[in-house]
Amino acid sequence: MPVSHKHPERHHYWTLGKLLCFSLLLLLSILTLLPLVLTFLYSFFPQSEIKAYLALRNNYNTEMWMDFLISPKQATVRQYYTILIDNPQYLKLFCNSVMYTVMILAGQALVVPLTSYCLTKFEFRGRDALFFVILALMLLPFQVTMTPTVITLRTLGLMDTIWAVILPMWFSPFYIFLLRQFMLAIPNDMFEAGMMDGCGPVRSYVHVMVPCCKPILCAAAALSFADCWNMVEQPLVYLANNTGLQPLSVMFNQLNAEGTEVAFAGAALYILPALLVYLYFQEDILLGVQLSELK
Amino acid sequence: MFRKKKVVWLLLLPAFTGLFVFYIIPFFGGIYYSLTDGTFQNNFIGFGNYAKVWNNTMFQTGLKNTLILSVLCAPAIWIISFILADMLRVLDKHAKGFRNILLLPYLMPSAALILIWTILFDYGGVVNKMLVALGLDRVIWLRGAPLRVPIIILYMWKNIGFSVVIFTAAFQSVPISLYEFASLEGASPLYQEFKITLPLISPSAFLVFVMAWINAFKIFKEAYYIGGAYPDSMEIYTLQHFMNNHFAKINYQYVTTAAYSFAIIVFVLFALLYYMESRIRKGVN
Repeated sequence: MPVSHKHPERHHYWTLGKLLCFSLLLLLSILTLLPLVLTFLYSFFPQSEIKAYLALRNNYNTEMWMDFLISPKQATVRQYYTILIDNPQYLKLFCNSVMYTVMILAGQALVVPLTSYCLTKFEFRGRDALFFVILALMLLPFQVTMTPTVITLRTLGLMDTIWAVILPMWFSPFYIFLLRQFMLAIPNDMFEAGMMDGCGPVRSYVHVMVPCCKPILCAAAALSFADCWNMVEQPLVYLANNTGLQPLSVMFNQLNAEGTEVAFAGAALYILPALLVYLYFQEDILLGVQLSELK
Repeated sequence: MFRKKKVVWLLLLPAFTGLFVFYIIPFFGGIYYSLTDGTFQNNFIGFGNYAKVWNNTMFQTGLKNTLILSVLCAPAIWIISFILADMLRVLDKHAKGFRNILLLPYLMPSAALILIWTILFDYGGVVNKMLVALGLDRVIWLRGAPLRVPIIILYMWKNIGFSVVIFTAAFQSVPISLYEFASLEGASPLYQEFKITLPLISPSAFLVFVMAWINAFKIFKEAYYIGGAYPDSMEIYTLQHFMNNHFAKINYQYVTTAAYSFAIIVFVLFALLYYMESRIRKGVN
């Protein structure tokens, strides 16, 4: 019995609501994408045009406006050429960012899922206490948790080395929590069945848990990538005396100040990896959140 | 499930070492710093540092600004993402593209966007142009107190998508039959929101709120990109600025004291929130 077709009034109501929602969301999506689109667009402008445009900033002349530039007099990839080949200072910092991101993600891949596995599928004394500590660390603001880390880094003599940025990130409480919430939803039966067949905890982890967690592992990897790619607070403090090791995220503004005419190409190149990661992992992020017990 | 004690401690060893070495041991060790004077003898001075830090005008400014920014951002993110998730639910099958676009900024590096942001909010920028078109006056966004606005908008632009995704996931766990029944009984959509949706998703709603608040305490990047380590406009000097500048001076007494003071404030805040949430949930049942 098709009950839903018997309510013409309600149907009419939702069509109107739908149309309203659709147009509002469309407007919002355009606004959301605008800064990204402009950045990519401006990166193909000649440097002279960008320089002239940016010179209009902070001009408190009430007669003047700083409109959008719609199309360049001549589209060019000169900006990209400058930052990639003429002046590879930018590229060096880009490589620093890549290095930190790869090292941090590799460490997290080893530590984080294993810890969440222990917290969900093992029974041992102190498990709840450990989880409580992780939760408390997650809830404490960064200003609070970074202080003990700095004390340790100084004691160990790791300040101003790459490890100061990499090591503390390996034990990120948020990702342990995120994975734990997902693993809670995986039924114990699967592991019991494995146990019957003589599959120990380590093999269960490799052959049952990791394949089951694929969406949340991808989601966590993508989110953690975004964290590392955006990292500012940590390198700023941990690498205060070693600007050569700073990632792009910290130095970007300084580079902009030195050469504004290539800033948009720099920004576009900086956004590109994040964009690719997003496009590749977007479904996993959505699925991971949907299936875990965050709700 | 598994009970092998030796195995579990072996598997937990890396995380355990890391958490203890980088967070837990120095957290308690830091209390020692906050209670001593930092001279050669390291005299015990009780709560002297606390008095000093709490009277420090820079600490007061930083704490005040951090609290203001978070109080403005967290509820705004919560409400807007709830409404957006609701709109996405109304659109049903057509929502996918919009949801993906809203999540996109979450992965974007804010450093790369600050330049375009300052152009949009420039005195002659498009934002002001629209204000004038609406018959209002131009605002100097990039100086003084109005500077908070671009920072908050940039922050929300970046962070709202993730909350929307959590809400959307939570909405899917609410059975549709409840809404159908409610509409048959003549309940308005707004009434349904408050009486069906909110109570049923209250755990995730609480999570989104808490996460939004913790993340909002971290608002610093945006202010740092615009103003640097010592911003001209004191309205965007956050607690993180204070901490960073004292880390640079290796002033452990100050940073530990400031950190623990803030930790206490945050814990009181979350305890209050948790208490309120449990009251609401009890009221619903």
